[in-house]
Amino acid sequence: MDELYLDNIDEYVNDHNKIVTYKWLSLTLGVHVNTAKQMLFHYLDHKRKESSAPLHATYLVTGKWVENGNTSHKVTVVREEQLEDVKSKMSLTVSVHVYSVQKASLKDSGPLYSVDYDAVKDNLNSCSRYSAIKCADAVPFAPGDTRPAGDSLQFPPPDPNQIRAPSFDGPGNQTTSKPAAKPQPKGIMGLFASKAAPKKQEPGKEIKVEQKEDTTTADVSKSKSASKSSTMSNFFGSQATKRAEKTVKVEETSSSSVKDKSESSPPAKKLKETPNEEKVKETQPKEEKVKETQPEEVKVKETQPKEAKVKVTKEAKVKEAKPNARSKSKRKEPSDSEEDKMETKKRRRIKKPQSDSSDDDDVIPDSPKQQEMRKPPPTPERLLKEKIVSQPNECKRRKRRRVMKSRTFMDEEGCIVTEKGYESESYSDSEDHVPSAKASNVPARAATGKREDEKKSKKKISPPANKGTKQASIMGFFQKK
Amino acid sequence: MTTLTRQDLNFGQVVADILCEFLEVAIHLILYVREVYPSGIFQKKKKYNVPVQMSCHPELNQYIQDTLQCVKPLIEKNDAEKVAVVIMDKEHHPVERFVFEISQPPLLSISSDTLLSHVEQLLRAFILKISVCDAVLNSNPPGCSFTVLVHTREAATRNMEKVQVIKDFPWIVADEQEVHMPEPRLIPLKTMTSEIVKMQLYVEERAQKT
Repeated sequence: MDELYLDNIDEYVNDHNKIVTYKWLSLTLGVHVNTAKQMLFHYLDHKRKESSAPLHATYLVTGKWVENGNTSHKVTVVREEQLEDVKSKMSLTVSVHVYSVQKASLKDSGPLYSVDYDAVKDNLNSCSRYSAIKCADAVPFAPGDTRPAGDSLQFPPPDPNQIRAPSFDGPGNQTTSKPAAKPQPKGIMGLFASKAAPKKQEPGKEIKVEQKEDTTTADVSKSKSASKSSTMSNFFGSQATKRAEKTVKVEETSSSSVKDKSESSPPAKKLKETPNEEKVKETQPKEEKVKETQPEEVKVKETQPKEAKVKVTKEAKVKEAKPNARSKSKRKEPSDSEEDKMETKKRRRIKKPQSDSSDDDDVIPDSPKQQEMRKPPPTPERLLKEKIVSQPNECKRRKRRRVMKSRTFMDEEGCIVTEKGYESESYSDSEDHVPSAKASNVPARAATGKREDEKKSKKKISPPANKGTKQASIMGFFQKK
Repeated sequence: MTTLTRQDLNFGQVVADILCEFLEVAIHLILYVREVYPSGIFQKKKKYNVPVQMSCHPELNQYIQDTLQCVKPLIEKNDAEKVAVVIMDKEHHPVERFVFEISQPPLLSISSDTLLSHVEQLLRAFILKISVCDAVLNSNPPGCSFTVLVHTREAATRNMEKVQVIKDFPWIVADEQEVHMPEPRLIPLKTMTSEIVKMQLYVEERAQKT
């Protein structure tokens, strides 16, 4: 029984001429990654003793690396020939284990990524099933779960004992699991400690280590909670963006002798996706800001470069975090007028179930209504008139409202037919802003149809909209447009 | 469900495009793995979501592209039986041959929900196999060059000689000495079967290379 796996690996390596990575082996045989690493090591040992066909192996080395006075935590995949060299150059070797075994001597690291690609893709939902890094609190969101960002505060910092050091140490390696466990929790604890100031690269590298251990979902949820807690600890989130950028940059610019961290791209892809998920779920409770943030989200989802994407999502999150959006009560901190506006917006939405989702329709009613609050309410007669004649068209309602706003002008031209009454409403708007244009506008519009006039009036409103004092609301309309 | 036949040129073109793209990547990778050219001219690029090595040398790239441009119409009409990348030594005797045997089903029928992602997965496997083929092959002598031979069905080459697909890029019937390899050893690498194409890749290498 114990020797069966040796035959299995032998078959893969020699007969099928495959590259057997520990991750692929663990997913194929359904064993824990540490077991897979041990299997590979024993197989290699066994075959070397037999001195049969030449086998090549690659190793994963992690440890402290000092370069130009900068200390960093380095994770690298090296060829067997370079193993001792790299180990000696590291100031502290944290873990060494077999990464892959193959017959061919690989010229570059590309195939190492390709090997795991399909295996991971097939097990996408559970690719961290056999992984060694676990965080009990990192639970993926259930679909439709609208847990606001504030809940992340309540997660206790992960117990360092829960984080098992994912290292199989070869017999020649003196590091045991204990020292291996220490630097990792240190980095992770540094992330979660609110005011700790760990070396910037170390937490980044720690996240990279976690990702390197190929626990995609656990990593991502961890980095997600890490990023959340970092926004918590820094209100303005600038350090959060730096750290996030650093992790992404570290992923992308990581140096290794053989491998370019191409393996981190599936985890990085997940990192890309979960900020989106995060954003979506965070904005769900914030309906007031939905319209404004939606275009942002769309932009976020469409930007291609990972870094830019992370930056934008972080910045957008920072914007939301800035007013300390953790608790709902604090969202009402903005000025009362805004609150009124939002409430009126909400009211308006309830009132107008037929309203289109376009911003124009929502906003145009805003402005007249606000001015309505400041000016006396319209007479019931006029309202009735307009309501009878009005069609269930957005434009009509708009015009109607404007009448209320500037009734005085209506008196002068109120004798015009009710249809034209609408026009005159729109004229009244333009008259508000450019009284001189009144006379020229009126005869021109008398002959044409309603909607064209409305359109014209809209157009004519826009240039003078920049002048005048009553145009604050209409300016708002155009800006939102 | 739409049934597209070979007469439907659009679909034939699609298959030919896919195959030619794949062949381009494969040829670059073969040149890299078999060290026909120094590895310095190669750069890592992404294809089928995995890293592959492609050359940056403009003339080499142009040559490969022109070659495949001429092969494409043959694939469209299912006239190309085999496309062989032959590595030759200094005396222009073939040392190694990477043969892609291509066959397309005569009546290509695809449903509207054919996912070409499956084809992508299969092509990825081909790329991976080429990357590790040096385990089963002996190393080549230095100073090798390469060429591409196309074995066609019937008399399709007559048309090729008449009509130059690309100006100043003529195709000629291959010499016997370029085609014949004494005592070839056959090493199969990969086979794929899909709805749109069946492809097989094997390597023939000369028993004694140096």
